[in-house]
Amino acid sequence: MKKIIFIILSVCILNTLEVIGQCNAEALSNQCIPKLAAGFNFLKSYKIEKGGKDYVEYSYVFTKGTQYMINICAATQPTDGIVVSLFDSNRNKVATSKVGGQFVAAIAYPCNTTGIYYIQYTFDGSTTYCGGSALGFKR
Amino acid sequence: MRIVIIGLILFLFSACGSGKKTDEQAFLEGLDSTKTEGPSISEEVIGSILDQIPSPLEISVLLKESGKKYNAGYLNSPDNTSKYNSNYKKALNLGVYGTDLGYTNIYEQNQDGVKYMASIKELANGLSIGQFFDIETIGRLATNSKNLDSLLLITTQNFNTINHYLQTQGRANLSVLFLTGGWLEALHITCETSASNPDNKELKETIGEQKIILENIMLLLSFYKESDQNMASLLADMEELKKIYDKVNITYTYKESTFEIVDGVMVIKDNSTSTIDITPEDITNIRNLTTSIRNKIIS
Repeated sequence: MKKIIFIILSVCILNTLEVIGQCNAEALSNQCIPKLAAGFNFLKSYKIEKGGKDYVEYSYVFTKGTQYMINICAATQPTDGIVVSLFDSNRNKVATSKVGGQFVAAIAYPCNTTGIYYIQYTFDGSTTYCGGSALGFKR
Repeated sequence: MRIVIIGLILFLFSACGSGKKTDEQAFLEGLDSTKTEGPSISEEVIGSILDQIPSPLEISVLLKESGKKYNAGYLNSPDNTSKYNSNYKKALNLGVYGTDLGYTNIYEQNQDGVKYMASIKELANGLSIGQFFDIETIGRLATNSKNLDSLLLITTQNFNTINHYLQTQGRANLSVLFLTGGWLEALHITCETSASNPDNKELKETIGEQKIILENIMLLLSFYKESDQNMASLLADMEELKKIYDKVNITYTYKESTFEIVDGVMVIKDNSTSTIDITPEDITNIRNLTTSIRNKIIS
């Protein structure tokens, strides 16, 4: 019987901890907007919060001749192991923010082809699995 | 007793869960919703497609950066709001005016911009979303051209919030109309500008590229064709536009991109290329039909 009570209490404590440690991805995505480089116009902010999948994904139609910037904001470190990768409409990877073990907080992508692009966030050694991101553009 | 305890544990696990659905679950449940009235797919899926639609502001920036002059004659009159009595017309023209406001903002035509702000506020109030359009802040920023960046930022944020709110309130149909109106107005402005600059290749390509966005808009409208007669009619108009766009060919050649890190930013060099085959006749046909559809919307 003691074991049962212990299990029940553990479940409830874990649930409470989950609530305490809730991810405020919206605040982090808002923090990212002013961090877009000068000259970039804000388009979208994205919440990065690990759910059922190993990644978080959004999509947007990029336009030829336009340069896009996507940045990452996290609570603990600049990127907290969050990596943004960009895939074209055929799912070819065209950009990533992690190269040679280095995490970069922003990517700038001058688009040569109009089409749907998939903006995918993955977690590589992340401690919070929580972050925000902003998308901007300039001609 | 053991069964009761196991049942209690299972109940706690399910009750204490986060309650989040996976995308797959949401998608399947969305498909199931065809049994009831409303869209034939989940609003979550609709939201993800809506998110793809590019901001009309991008086209206004293109026009300004390529040296095209401001022309208020391309825009819908801000005095037309009294014509829009249904939610259908209000949502469509909220999008039209949103694009017009972006165009006036980019060209720093603040006097015109203030008129569009008032029209947007009126339509937004009519749709019970006026609280998300901060006309006081936007109006104050519009009085000084030094505030252009802030003006564009606040306006974009307001429209994003409106879209998000509509989707969370189960009114994604209005979001679809809002984005459709905004897109069509941007296409109209581009076509009119192109007609005045017939040799401009960039404008022709921009018109051709809209084929991709048209397909998304048609997909969104198709979700409501059974439940909303107005949206079905608008879809029929878009299908006619699609017939012209079917003659436009977009070819894409993928080549792996390269990169360098500059000041902490990964700067990508896109080595892929694309070509857009569109004839002057296609442009004329697109322009004429766009004008015709737009006239139905703004009248």
